[in-house]
Amino acid sequence: MPLLLDFLSSIHRFVLNQNGDELCNWLLIESGVPEIYFRLGRELRTSYLNSDVLEKLVDKCLPEEDNVADGKGSPWPGFNSFIKEYLEYWRDVSFTDIVALHSRISALLISCANALANPTYGNMLLQTSMSISESLSKLVMSLTRQPHLLARIQGDASGDEAGERKSIVELAADIIQKIFTSCLTDRSSNRWSQPKGKKVAVYLFANLTLKLLFACDKSRLAVQMFTNLSTSGPALSLYPASQRVTFLYYLGRFNFDHCHYLRAHLSFEEAYRQCPPRFQGHRRRILAYWLPSNLLLGRFPSRALLQRPEARGFAEIFLPICAAVRSGNFVAFHGALAQSRDWLWAKGLYLALLYRLKPLVWRSFTRKTFLLTWQGSENDASKKAASLSLHDLVTTASYVQKLLEGYVPAKPAPRARPPHINHIFMRAVTNSAAESESDSLLAPPPGGPRRLMPAEGLILGNKRPTLDNMEAVVAGLVYSGLLNGFMARQQKRFAVEGTKKYGGNAVAAGWPNPYSGIMDRYKEEYDDSVASYSSGEPVDPPGELDDVPGWVKNP
Amino acid sequence: MASAQSSSKNDGKAVADSKQPEQPTEQKTAAALEEDDEFEDFPVDDWSVEDTEAANGGEGTQHLWEESWDDDDTSDDFSAQLKEELKKVESSKRR
Repeated sequence: MPLLLDFLSSIHRFVLNQNGDELCNWLLIESGVPEIYFRLGRELRTSYLNSDVLEKLVDKCLPEEDNVADGKGSPWPGFNSFIKEYLEYWRDVSFTDIVALHSRISALLISCANALANPTYGNMLLQTSMSISESLSKLVMSLTRQPHLLARIQGDASGDEAGERKSIVELAADIIQKIFTSCLTDRSSNRWSQPKGKKVAVYLFANLTLKLLFACDKSRLAVQMFTNLSTSGPALSLYPASQRVTFLYYLGRFNFDHCHYLRAHLSFEEAYRQCPPRFQGHRRRILAYWLPSNLLLGRFPSRALLQRPEARGFAEIFLPICAAVRSGNFVAFHGALAQSRDWLWAKGLYLALLYRLKPLVWRSFTRKTFLLTWQGSENDASKKAASLSLHDLVTTASYVQKLLEGYVPAKPAPRARPPHINHIFMRAVTNSAAESESDSLLAPPPGGPRRLMPAEGLILGNKRPTLDNMEAVVAGLVYSGLLNGFMARQQKRFAVEGTKKYGGNAVAAGWPNPYSGIMDRYKEEYDDSVASYSSGEPVDPPGELDDVPGWVKNP
Repeated sequence: MASAQSSSKNDGKAVADSKQPEQPTEQKTAAALEEDDEFEDFPVDDWSVEDTEAANGGEGTQHLWEESWDDDDTSDDFSAQLKEELKKVESSKRR
């Protein structure tokens, strides 16, 4: 009996018994399969080069059953199309032509997804869909690391599709998301009951899509999936722990990438809590993002956390950053980031920390300037309201800007003048330097100030901080909840509010706990959205403050 | 075709020899810290809450963060430099 007939007869048997595991075991597509698949391919090339003939054979071997007993299955048209496509795959595949392989596997998965969509029997292709999806995403991830091959594929997609060309990542994610949607809309069980039918695979396909998107830096494409889950997804708690932790990890990454650090923290926290300590590698990957999420919320890792085995090496990276934020030292801050730049960059953390931690450094810096300049004290009877002079802030900020530009300490005392340098020459040299420079402890470095990239300077590159800049910075800090007070614009001062409430401690009043300040802002935003909703504005119901869109919780 | 059953678990195998030709991968100097960025599949599907820190109301994950980290010390080098600079600028204004 030819191999092909033998193969189709086994497939037929599996379908009649609704045996999804065996279908998956047999419908293999990767190159490392037993030799028999290549023999099957040779047989197909010999006798079935004509696809119409092949289609007829498949329909003959896999006839649709009329009377199907309970618990039994039957081939259906979508299934037969998929099997025909599968056989064509083995007939035509060349594992050395990656570009063609990519389009073949894509087409095969589309065909599989169509068959899976059958409401009665589609279910038995769940494992096979998963397996082909995994193969496709592995291939796509590998291709994105090989630009010369990627260029060939993207090149192929030009022509009539040039108007709206999608990347291969998008195309693969689209197909897998189609399967995800098919699982999501399965009606065998509702959102809040034990998943049945295709619904059991909702988070498996969600996680596979997310893995692909993140591996290829396309996380923004996950928005639609999270929206679909929020709207009709089953509760995450109904699924196995490995799927829950993986999903929450990617949900955290998504929110981190989109600068929602509270939601990122909530997702990572739960992922970490539900991940047993024995999976140290997984906990480490969660922590690598959970920790920065907390830094950006104004919280530092404790010694207890940094001593955990999964935090190995993190102290060297994050403690210098924390120390710089704590002291408001911009030079140390840039130094700490530069020191771990490669690691932070590879993790996609560098820019987030560089731009988003700056407000916290400014907070500490303004606080330090206040500590150094404010003369009043708790016992001060003068009742003078505590305030920070913006002129003083310009002075300290200019000093730091000069340090960033590589300025060096000015020569302390003029040395005895060498006899050949006369008085007039000295005056000429002194006058040529900008007036303000001579008032500083710092002098330009030999060869001139370092040219700074925009983000490397305090304001923007080599721009010197001005009074207006300082006013803007302080106003921004007040707005984001990091400073408590108001701008006395006439006096060019930041006036601290609520000193009395803090027992006369102006520093505590003006520079509240950063984490509390940031959380208060989140709370205010949330209250605003509740108020808008309550007043009948056409906005989405706000849910709870700690809701994370895409994370479906039991009602 | 029964031999197909023996290869039911095919994860880990390459889809194809897609690595050819060998490309010089981007240099990862951070390799010292991290081997691989991928969040791997778990070797088991499910586990009990008792195996995790979510047990006991998550007591294990308390005390992981420090919210109060302000530094009132102005005797460090950086503060001393700022202080000197403020003094110098102030005195030059009075001149």
